[in-house]
Amino acid sequence: MNAEPTPSAFSDDDLRRRRAAARRLGWLLAAFVLGLYLIGLLIKR
Amino acid sequence: MSIATTHPGGHAAEPYQGGLRRWLTTTNHKDIGTMYMMFSLIMFFVGGLMILAVRAELFQPGLQLMKPEFFNQLIGIHALVMIFAALMPAATGFANWMIPLMIGAPDMALPRLNNWGFWLLPPAAILLTLPFTLALFGIGDGALATGWTFYAPLSVQGGMGVDFAILAVHILGISSIMGSINIIVTIFNMRAPGMTMMKLPLFAWGWLITAFLLIATLPVLAGAVTMLLTDRHFGTHFFDAAGGGDPILFQHLFWFFGHPEVYILLLPVWGLMPHVLATFSRKPTYGYKAQVYSFIAIGLLSVVVWAHHFFTAGMPVPALIYFMFSTMAISLPLAVLFFCWIATMWKGAMSFETPMLFAIGFIVLFGIAGLTGLILADVAADAQYHHSYFVVAHFHYALFAGGIMGVMTGVYYWLPKWTGHMYCEKLGKLHFWLTVFSFNLTFIPQFFLGLAGMPRRIPDYALQFAEFNAISTVGAFILGLSQLIFAWNIWITVRGGKKAEGRVWESAEGLEWELSSPPPHHSWETQPVIK
Ligand code: HEM
Ligand SMILES: [Cu+2]
Repeated sequence: MNAEPTPSAFSDDDLRRRRAAARRLGWLLAAFVLGLYLIGLLIKR
Repeated sequence: MSIATTHPGGHAAEPYQGGLRRWLTTTNHKDIGTMYMMFSLIMFFVGGLMILAVRAELFQPGLQLMKPEFFNQLIGIHALVMIFAALMPAATGFANWMIPLMIGAPDMALPRLNNWGFWLLPPAAILLTLPFTLALFGIGDGALATGWTFYAPLSVQGGMGVDFAILAVHILGISSIMGSINIIVTIFNMRAPGMTMMKLPLFAWGWLITAFLLIATLPVLAGAVTMLLTDRHFGTHFFDAAGGGDPILFQHLFWFFGHPEVYILLLPVWGLMPHVLATFSRKPTYGYKAQVYSFIAIGLLSVVVWAHHFFTAGMPVPALIYFMFSTMAISLPLAVLFFCWIATMWKGAMSFETPMLFAIGFIVLFGIAGLTGLILADVAADAQYHHSYFVVAHFHYALFAGGIMGVMTGVYYWLPKWTGHMYCEKLGKLHFWLTVFSFNLTFIPQFFLGLAGMPRRIPDYALQFAEFNAISTVGAFILGLSQLIFAWNIWITVRGGKKAEGRVWESAEGLEWELSSPPPHHSWETQPVIK
């Protein structure tokens, strides 16, 4: 493995796209977490 | 959440801040990683002081130093501090520092979330320890006295300390979930082109599985302690038999989180090991794929074995048998990992710098944790060993020799990368040998105490246990003092010392070593090329 400088890092566009995808997946995971937490309310005791 | 503005391009425009402002508002993965590591180190000593008080009390039979209530608070808060405020933050600190460097990303995917994740920790740690500190000055009835497991009905009846701990656990859980989400999305979305999942460094793989386990189990813990809270204050009867509830339900919910938690604490370390072993054996990692599949298998199995923590609570025989065999099955993928670690060293040109010493110490001592775990997983044997010191010894081989020594491996391995200075090798070796010696001096006697029938979580014991307890206490104090060498070594390395090169260890492989030590404030201004 080797790092060879290329003209730019993730291009601004590429980075924006990646961050947007990350945010979407992040919210999805957060929704999953909240769902799991709330399932507890269905336990009847 | 508009995070687009905090990407490195935007960052570079801001003036570089110093002082408190910098640390409070930073979104830089290295700053945040450093804060996690420092927080972890401080809490390691806080938790350590607590347990030294416990060992002092246990030096001799009889009650010498404290009331039993206070003793109970000490052991519970010790465990919660060590698990949630020392080990987990250390692993998250590693992730913050290293994952972006390893995968060629400019930063974590969600830098502001990252800042939040850290700054939730100090208030939670205060909540955990405040009632306890106040009680030392005669204010209030102290911290939770149930042990770290919160078992009902004791936790339903306990004082305000339980409420503090419940709140603290919620906050710690939210922080960990934020960290986990960030790590998952970073690994999925921020890898440099060419870094396929099967080229992902094993450390990142270990953390990826950890993060999934965290988001799958922490909500269950949060749910369980919320139910506890409503039982305590809002008239529900989830865990109250008198109201038609079931205290055993709490044990199921707690351990559905609690067992995966032990793998959460270790998977990052298992991910780290092959890097260190390969570097100091001057050979490529043996069995990359086998290790990845083992991580996944362990992750999946870890959520289906929880009831081995309460075999003795009473359950149908088919359930006992199922939980016994599923628990034992985990040792198969674990054995694969051990095999790969050893095979990586096999016929290598090994050298024994401090990180390598800790890695080898980890393998040997953590092996004892696995083997004694198998003994405990045997339903028939566990009837005798459950709630004895044997269990205490088992999980300290797992969590100290496995978890803490694993973290120390990583600290010695990466500290030169983080600070740009070499640590003192002499002090490192001294720290290693003292730690291994005194750790065993502390915990080997506890196996025998457990086999002889000494129960855990008691401030006083029968005369027959006196000698082994005295030895264990002496060991614990040496162990505690030895850690000052560790702190000192870190301190002098941060302050100065021999300059470290970018590739700190001559045969270290991976993108993280392509950058200077310390890496520039913004990692990867230019895109690395993966070959
Ligand atoms: C092959 C691997 C392992 C097996 C079969 C195993 C099995 C067990 C069993 C059956 C118990 C319950 C004993 C009892 O309370 O009677 C136990 C307790 C425990 N184990 Fe393990 N274990 C293994 C590895 C680990 C690892 C890797 C960790 C941590 C990183 C760990 C941490 C713990 C802890 C913290 C407890 C006690 C929790 C408490 O009651 O406070 N174990 N183990
Ligand atoms: Cu377990």
